[in-house]
Amino acid sequence: MKNEQFINRQDLKRKRALIAFQILMYGYLLTMFLVQMYMYSVRDW
Amino acid sequence: MSEKSLNSDLPMGTNAVFANMHKWLQRGLMVCLTALVLEGALTMPLLAVWYGWPTLSFQEICSELQKIRFSDDSRECIYPYPLFGPAEGAGQTTAKDQWGVQPVPEYKRIGYRELITIRNARLAQ
Amino acid sequence: MNQTTSPSLATSTKGLDEHYDQSRKAQRQADLWLMSGAIMLGTLVLGPIGFPVFLRGLSLQVKAQKAGLTVRPVLVTLVGYLVAIDAALNSFGWAMDMIAHHSLMNRTILTMWGNMFDAGYFWHYNELWIGGASAPGEKAWVFALLPIVFSMRLAAAIGFLQMKRWGHQWMVVTCWFGVVAWVGYVANMTIFADVRYANVVFPVVGWWLYDIFYISPFLAIPYLHSVNREIFSDS
Repeated sequence: MKNEQFINRQDLKRKRALIAFQILMYGYLLTMFLVQMYMYSVRDW
Repeated sequence: MSEKSLNSDLPMGTNAVFANMHKWLQRGLMVCLTALVLEGALTMPLLAVWYGWPTLSFQEICSELQKIRFSDDSRECIYPYPLFGPAEGAGQTTAKDQWGVQPVPEYKRIGYRELITIRNARLAQ
Repeated sequence: MNQTTSPSLATSTKGLDEHYDQSRKAQRQADLWLMSGAIMLGTLVLGPIGFPVFLRGLSLQVKAQKAGLTVRPVLVTLVGYLVAIDAALNSFGWAMDMIAHHSLMNRTILTMWGNMFDAGYFWHYNELWIGGASAPGEKAWVFALLPIVFSMRLAAAIGFLQMKRWGHQWMVVTCWFGVVAWVGYVANMTIFADVRYANVVFPVVGWWLYDIFYISPFLAIPYLHSVNREIFSDS
């Protein structure tokens, strides 16, 4: 029982970290996309 | 650990904590897979049509693109290219760019099947 | 298939053996079609042939699962094949750029793609002495990622689909490589955005719409870190 609880807590921390990683990565991609769109809007492409 | 995934309807390898995450990952993966499959299948035909195939052969499309790339109407795609020959654009001097730390190309945008009209206009001269 | 968690079947040993034989055969059959289709899709030019081949494999896999056979989990199949196709597409494209840059196929198809989406593969293409892409930094990315990231990731995906432990481990490693690749590659494109986007047919949006589906490492990583690793074994 004790083991199960511990594994669950570790799993919950792991899940949080993985979700944070997703947010970080997609946030980075979105940022770069927006930067490029901004450049597109001001430069003569 | 394995008991948890056996007792419920969870797929092998997934436990309760990650069941929802795995469900969404599966959906995302299916979307990416479908898109990549479609892109893999359709890229070549659609590109070829945009750039004038089958009116223009691949060699003609290659030559037209090279003319635009280096802004030089005399360039042709040599086919087959000599195996250990120099790079085909080596030493070129005709390409139009604004040079600087971030160069800006100055060739014109190519519209849908515009290579055909460009080529015909040039041959008509 | 090497699996440590077996389903509970109230049958004799003979029935169980038969079931596993049937399952193995069904999985193998599906995989033959899936793998052939995936490799062909990865070559882009054989894509129209690879698509129906791949779909046949997918339908065989789903059919086997619905028939109650012990086959690979759907997510493992999805992650494995997505990563394999992703790696194959990148590998083939960049192998052409690195080695076959003066073939007619490459000079036509890659520069067409470059002219439409990303002039890194059009601007001064084949002008450098090493041939291929001449955009700032691009060749360096090709050299670094092709043998280390994409080739290794393809091998890892194969091991992963075979439910091997080393396959799972190397998927973790090579997908994290992919994170480095995405961050650096996109940063390079943004810094030299004029070269990459000026006068292409579909600037910015074209490249993003086309390439966003290559984020398989970002989707694979959460799965790889949260799946029960016991289902992968090297025995």
